[in-house]
Amino acid sequence: MSGLNQRSGRLVRAVSGVALAVAVAFAAAPVSAADDGPIIAVSGPLSWPFFAAVKQGFDDAAKQFGVDYQYVAVTDTANMTSDYPRLLQQAISRNPRMLLVGEFFPDGMDPLIKEATAAGIPVLIHNSGQTLWEQNGSIGFIGEDPYQMGYKAGEIQAAKGVRKGLCFNQVPGNPTVEARCTGYVDAMKKAGLETVYQTIGTGDATNPQAMLQAIKGTLQSTPDIDGIYTLNAVPAISALRAVEEVGRKGEVVIGTADLSNEVLEAIKAGDIAFAMDQQPYLQGFLSIQTAKQFLDYGLHPIGHVKTGPLVIDSSNVERTLEVNKQFSGVRGAS
Amino acid sequence: MTRLIRRPEFGAFAAFVLTYAFFAVVTSGAGFVSVNGTAGWLNLAAELGIVAIPVGMLMISGEFDLSIGSTVGAASMVVALGTSFFGLPIWPAIALALVLGALIGLVNGLAVVKTNLPSFIITLATNFVVLGATMGFSRLIANVTSSSIVQSESARAVFAARWGQANVSILWWLGFALVCGWLLGKTTFGNWIYATGGNLTAARGAGVPVERVKVILFVLTGFAAAFVGVLQGVQWNSGNSTYGMGYVFQAPIVAVIGGVLLGGGYGSVVGIVLGTAIFGVISTGIFYTGWSTDWVNLFLGVLLAAAVLANNYVRRMALAAR
Repeated sequence: MSGLNQRSGRLVRAVSGVALAVAVAFAAAPVSAADDGPIIAVSGPLSWPFFAAVKQGFDDAAKQFGVDYQYVAVTDTANMTSDYPRLLQQAISRNPRMLLVGEFFPDGMDPLIKEATAAGIPVLIHNSGQTLWEQNGSIGFIGEDPYQMGYKAGEIQAAKGVRKGLCFNQVPGNPTVEARCTGYVDAMKKAGLETVYQTIGTGDATNPQAMLQAIKGTLQSTPDIDGIYTLNAVPAISALRAVEEVGRKGEVVIGTADLSNEVLEAIKAGDIAFAMDQQPYLQGFLSIQTAKQFLDYGLHPIGHVKTGPLVIDSSNVERTLEVNKQFSGVRGAS
Repeated sequence: MTRLIRRPEFGAFAAFVLTYAFFAVVTSGAGFVSVNGTAGWLNLAAELGIVAIPVGMLMISGEFDLSIGSTVGAASMVVALGTSFFGLPIWPAIALALVLGALIGLVNGLAVVKTNLPSFIITLATNFVVLGATMGFSRLIANVTSSSIVQSESARAVFAARWGQANVSILWWLGFALVCGWLLGKTTFGNWIYATGGNLTAARGAGVPVERVKVILFVLTGFAAAFVGVLQGVQWNSGNSTYGMGYVFQAPIVAVIGGVLLGGGYGSVVGIVLGTAIFGVISTGIFYTGWSTDWVNLFLGVLLAAAVLANNYVRRMALAAR
């Protein structure tokens, strides 16, 4: 997933013990699904473009299928590790007809989901929790597999002739984001190629200049790097500038997770090779659609519905830019 | 010579020389000391430095400003939404962003002098308010929290011009340093700043308008933060509400590395500039070493501590030698 874990991920381990204790204490109340209860979506903060697109998907599907639902998310992102289990607990205690949950913080949220499913509330997971849904009784998962996303990036770079690839992680300590790097490294290794893993100081995750200088330094000290994979759109542009500054534009293949207009323009210009889109809009839209069909007919897709990675490269970038211009926010990029 | 050694910034200068020499040796061959390597760490230091100077002066007067982080992001978003969503030409959008920064500073300053609450708390609150408002309004207006900036040649020339790989931000940093250095070191207003931070009651008794001093410094800080936001936005072609969040603590840190006392009353602009340069050298130089970056925060912490200790040691030696 983009967003949520990226900022708070390093807090996850520290706070999860407390969150779990709080969650267990709250989870004692008995619950059962009510026919007339609301459909509640517990999803990511709307202040981030990524989740704005997820909500747009929820809203459009709800309108299309004539479904009422409520979107629940934190507004203050400082204590998400403990806030999300609390939000989920509150949602469960309202006897919802169905829960659509982004399982961002499994340590606190998974026991609650088990409580809900045991009490007969249907749960559908989206965005995060791709390895958990089968064990917690949920009916399915809609979203990306971050490992597969990174793996695909590694395969593309290997196919483009990269010999030594750099995975640049601007938010070390976040398991979901790190899985992308792990996938990338595994795919490169399988092709018999070398990799370098790089992180930066924790204060600099949103400073494009600091990321530029960090990548430039690594390209200077390890000059045989000829491929870079970044995990967000902002460092992708920093990587592009760093490659230009060491005078190797065109020699280093750059690919990234997530989109921005800047990245799309760079793909169009041929400076960035590809971007991986996990299609947040679909995560919301398909969640509501599945909920509707499950509640009305008892039908649902079997297994993991993948919304990513959609590879955006020179072949489809024009269309993506057009959509972005026409429907601001739907692509989760700006 | 003794006069030179006794200046408050001599310790910071010694720490800078030691740090730079350290990286020059351990990164030999990787191009850290080359023209382009130097431009690299100067570019990084310049953006932080522009906002660190007024933050440091504010600390000398005995106050903190933690709202700079979100002011940087807010200014970049004003330019982005102004140009790409409302179709404003870029210069009025930039003017609007700078005025907004100064206004945030004015609110901080008035809130601090009227309530007498610690500025640490007040500006921390402002930091959240401004970040939240930026994100909320951006979503409300354009359904985004980061957005492209529609450029003009003249704006790029002023905020994003480059010579080789050196950004124009380095000149702006120098400009801010000269003006603020003159203000702090050569004017009555500068003396008032030291007096306000050194002993508030005595300063007030001596007729120093301490409240006006503080409010002016808050406005200057907000303006400088907005200036950095405009600079980053134009340079990277996009506004982003989270730009600058790292500066919230980096700016006071480099001021302290440069010899500013946390309690106020002591420090200099040259010291702050040197502290920023030390930070730039360390946080950029680490990556030229090729060491495993899993340890980057550890290296950063240890080297910063070493720089502060060196500064402190040299300063004590210098003062004892008189």
